[in-house]
Amino acid sequence: MFKFLPYILKTLWRHRARTLLTFSGAAVSLFVFCFVVSLQEGLDRLTSQSDSTLVVFQANKFCPATSHLQQDYDRIISRLPGVLDVVPIQVFTNNCRASLDVVVFYGVPPKKLRSVRDFELLAGSWSEFENNQDAGVVGQAVAQRRQLKTGDRFSIGEVTITVAGIFASENQAEENYIYTHLEFLQRTRGLDLVGTVTQHEVVLDPAVDPARVADQIDERFRGGPIQTDTRTKGTFQAASLADLVDLIGLTHYLGDACLGLMTVLILTTNFMSVQDRIREHAVLQTIGFSGARVFSLIMAESVLVSFAGGATGIVAALGVLANSGIAVSAEAVSLALTPSVTLTLTGLELSVAVGVLAGILPALAAARTEIVPALRAA
Amino acid sequence: MLIEIRNLTKQFRKGGETITPLKDVTLDIDRGEFVSLMGPSGTGKSTLLNQIAGIDRPDSGSITVAGTEITHLSRSRLARWRAEHVGYIFQTHNLIPVLTAYENVELPLLLLPFDRAERRRRVQVALDAVDLANRASHYPRQLSGGQEQRIGIARAIVADPTVVVADEPTGDLDAATSEQILNLLQRLNRELGTTLLMVTHDTDAAEIAGRQLQLDHGRIVEVDRASATVDNLAQAK
Repeated sequence: MFKFLPYILKTLWRHRARTLLTFSGAAVSLFVFCFVVSLQEGLDRLTSQSDSTLVVFQANKFCPATSHLQQDYDRIISRLPGVLDVVPIQVFTNNCRASLDVVVFYGVPPKKLRSVRDFELLAGSWSEFENNQDAGVVGQAVAQRRQLKTGDRFSIGEVTITVAGIFASENQAEENYIYTHLEFLQRTRGLDLVGTVTQHEVVLDPAVDPARVADQIDERFRGGPIQTDTRTKGTFQAASLADLVDLIGLTHYLGDACLGLMTVLILTTNFMSVQDRIREHAVLQTIGFSGARVFSLIMAESVLVSFAGGATGIVAALGVLANSGIAVSAEAVSLALTPSVTLTLTGLELSVAVGVLAGILPALAAARTEIVPALRAA
Repeated sequence: MLIEIRNLTKQFRKGGETITPLKDVTLDIDRGEFVSLMGPSGTGKSTLLNQIAGIDRPDSGSITVAGTEITHLSRSRLARWRAEHVGYIFQTHNLIPVLTAYENVELPLLLLPFDRAERRRRVQVALDAVDLANRASHYPRQLSGGQEQRIGIARAIVADPTVVVADEPTGDLDAATSEQILNLLQRLNRELGTTLLMVTHDTDAAEIAGRQLQLDHGRIVEVDRASATVDNLAQAK
């Protein structure tokens, strides 16, 4: 087949406007498709997190600004069997509703941060963070979006921090958060929330049943002044994003529509190309090209355009996803849109599949050309 | 005998009417013969040519070329057979416009088990035979009509086929260019021993062949078996 590559490439270039338009259509389709898949992958990553972390929230509260748990609940919870650590967290966000530009501050005891989060500091220092109460470590996605670097002063509302470091995390959703000192966040905005926190994060022994521990926690505080609602971290985050989950589910149809449009576009181009070359295909068959060979030539043209266009769209999407730090947030939970190997491979496979699908009918039409009538065709 | 045709019949339906351009045609062509087939338009000359070339099938009868009975070969095997045994010279040359002269001539060889070096050698020989080696990198749009037809001839002979068929090879050319093409065909037959079957409605062109046949109401009529030379062509003019 490689022997025929010059013929295939030259044939595609013969109608370069048509080929480039088809290529561009394929690129745009896969570009949009990648964003759709990235959104769904982000949601899957968020909601399938390890069950060995629980989030204790105030019962019947949904926005972090309305949840006020006793900070000393951590001592009670830590005594339960199977609990390895409890981290009190104060959450502040500039927007509780769904948005693309939400800034979320997580106030945690500074000494606990490194033990409960596997962050890699890309710039700055942990000691700078731990020794300065108004210091914060910023996720690289936020740093990119807001153009932050170490040493900058950064304000959202009444909260102003000094950037002590920029971190990366294997859990890319974390890169949309800013971590600062718990007490700093409790005292800021003129409020004195010392003694209360938004939530407790409970680290469990992987061997224990998280549902059982969650029930124990809620049972312990039932009937008290502040009742709790405890869930696994994945479930908690899915519930926070509940408004978005259905919408994200609908984007699945958008992705299908992109692929459908791409298929129709390439199919149309292929049919036009075959109709333009009825006589040429008859000449090829006269020379000795079999119907199967003609079929494979048309298929190769189709797959080449589809793959090249699709790959270009994928590369462009990966670039934007990698460098833009886009995240969708709701109720202080962020869903990161990031590139991934799975996304890339899925996109490339679908580009080939679309090329094959869009090539079959035109290729069959060309392969079944009756030679003599086609040679007489104008 | 290289080509044996026995009781060949071909019919078409046209506007509710059945037309029989070929009716019980029987014909033998020996290896190395240059045969011209004449007759007015619509008498079935090209139809017979297309049967022998394997791009059309008869309704009855048999065609045997170099020991292979081709009328019952499958579509794919017939394509394979054409690649190995037939060179086709079209009236309108039908070069592939996106390929250079070299690539057009090389096209049949891509279907056969030759490596790149062997393909290059054969293409060079074919281009030399038609005196167009210096135009190898030119595209059809950069060639004259006569040059395009010569490239078409080179493409037809490059794989050293068993038989070369030519369907009105000078039909689209002026007199001077036609003479060039006919001389070339005659030279190929004489120097390479190529078996040639040429369809033409031009008596002058027909006379250069060593054997002339006429198609008359679906049947073959032998016209002349005298050997043709360049002088015969010039005298006829």
